[in-house]
Amino acid sequence: MIARPAFLLLGIACLFAPASAQERAAVIAIPPLTTPDEKDSGADSPRAIAWQASQLIASDLRTTAELVPVGPDQKDYYSYPEVTAPTFSRWRAKGAKFVLTGFVRSRPDGRLTVGCYVYDTLKGAEVGRTGFVVAPGDWRRAAHKCSGIAYSAATGAPGGFDTRIAYVAESGPANNRVKRIAVMDSDGNNQSFVTAGDTIVLTPRLSPKAETLAFVSFVESQAQVRIANLASGDQHPLIQNGGMSFAPRFSPDGKRIAFSMQAGANIDVYVADSNGGTPQRLTASPGVDTDPSFAPDGSRIAFESDRSGTQQLYVMNADGSGQRRISFGGGWYAAPVWSPDGEWIAFARRIPGAGARIGIMKPDGSGEKLLTDGSLDEGPSWAASGRELLFQRAGPDGRPALYKVTLAGGEARRVATPQDASDPDWSGALD
Amino acid sequence: MRRAILVVVLVGSAASAQLPGLRKREQVPPAPIAVGIDALRGEFVAQSGSAIVYFGGDSSVLTPPARATLAAQARWLMRHPDLVVRIEGHADPSDTRDHALAVGARRAEEVRDYLVLLGVPAAQLTTLSWGKERPAVMGTAPEALALNRRAVTILVR
Repeated sequence: MIARPAFLLLGIACLFAPASAQERAAVIAIPPLTTPDEKDSGADSPRAIAWQASQLIASDLRTTAELVPVGPDQKDYYSYPEVTAPTFSRWRAKGAKFVLTGFVRSRPDGRLTVGCYVYDTLKGAEVGRTGFVVAPGDWRRAAHKCSGIAYSAATGAPGGFDTRIAYVAESGPANNRVKRIAVMDSDGNNQSFVTAGDTIVLTPRLSPKAETLAFVSFVESQAQVRIANLASGDQHPLIQNGGMSFAPRFSPDGKRIAFSMQAGANIDVYVADSNGGTPQRLTASPGVDTDPSFAPDGSRIAFESDRSGTQQLYVMNADGSGQRRISFGGGWYAAPVWSPDGEWIAFARRIPGAGARIGIMKPDGSGEKLLTDGSLDEGPSWAASGRELLFQRAGPDGRPALYKVTLAGGEARRVATPQDASDPDWSGALD
Repeated sequence: MRRAILVVVLVGSAASAQLPGLRKREQVPPAPIAVGIDALRGEFVAQSGSAIVYFGGDSSVLTPPARATLAAQARWLMRHPDLVVRIEGHADPSDTRDHALAVGARRAEEVRDYLVLLGVPAAQLTTLSWGKERPAVMGTAPEALALNRRAVTILVR
């Protein structure tokens, strides 16, 4: 963690970067966004919003391992024309490899135009830009987009600042928990509840654009996959009949949902149209096949099966053919989730005597790496950047909370939630 | 002392039990359910020894003590064919979320199948898995985990 006073010392800010990040992290200067507007009063004036947006961009980028933001500083105001003509030598001299400029301008219709530009100070060239027209109340989303442009320009990976996190908010005694599906912006703002807490709910999974979510509810006395429309609040079961259904996950195009369904003592992976229809069975082993997760191109599905006697990870084609085990490290492997860039499969691994941890491996089973050292870590979910994982960690008292860890390793960081939290699901970038 | 009485009851009923496949139709029609469900539940537990059977880690295999308990449960349930029974399977908190649901379901199915094998009409029995959502005992000590790996036979009505 970087001490705040470091940001005031622009010239030597890079000296204050943590040692572990120093080799790779680039400094990006965030002078305050400007405004061409004459009117300059009130908490919701363009200038006030520009200042808050600048702070939010810096705060977004501070959560990354790749960028060290410096600013915003009131001393660094620039004029509107300078938005697209920054003085590169000035920022270079201050050790910044990148500089982000931008503006907030009011429109006659009451909305705001927000524009952001990212420059490479060494090349003296623009490396990214984005612009939006938003309602004054939506300036945060525009600022997150600016953060995303800066992150993409610096790393080549998609930024995940304008994303949402669905999770299960928990309260009450451990043997009779009240569980509610909650959704929040990835920076913790805009918390809202999707379910009322009158029935147990599990494993919310957002559709690719976070318009709907699939989850598991005990509303009709047994676990059942249900679909909720986040705008209208409407809910309905995914399939009308059948036994217990659970472990839903959307296909990358959002048109299908893979899930598990029970028939007697046998549990298999099925896929159904996300609007309903007859499920198609993909696995037929007599054991438990569950936790399906699509590859980003939709061609393959990773899942978990205990057909060998213990829970292990498998990969198959999306039509169920070519099932192949990929985990052989010992212990139990569970909850595979394919990364957005297709490179990795994240999982929870139970190691006898060592607890449950989060790790990653290549889709062919090679390159396994454990990223956490908790005793009860589970439920990994990828950041849109593919460089970070969100997961659930139970404390010594059994109460769960959300944590993030980067693929580079290091300490897992707690993600603040208003209540205890479990079963996280991090959306892709929204647009 | 209480255990001693239960053993006597179990031995007594075991002696009169017939092999499942050769079971004759009950001579006396069952008494209408005049007693409240709570009283019946108490009687069921007292005469079966327990409403709960326990499992090994990540296992749905019935242990010999579990089979003995289920045999006693089956004898009682066959005398009360009007009752609707739900078998609820549970997993321990060291299991991952979705696998816990699956394991709970398998435990409940295993119990259901064994009760049917012993002669309880299948139509009388339903199953449900709570996964790891309704632990009986808190904590992650081995003893606590063992007490959560269970299936509970519940008289619904």
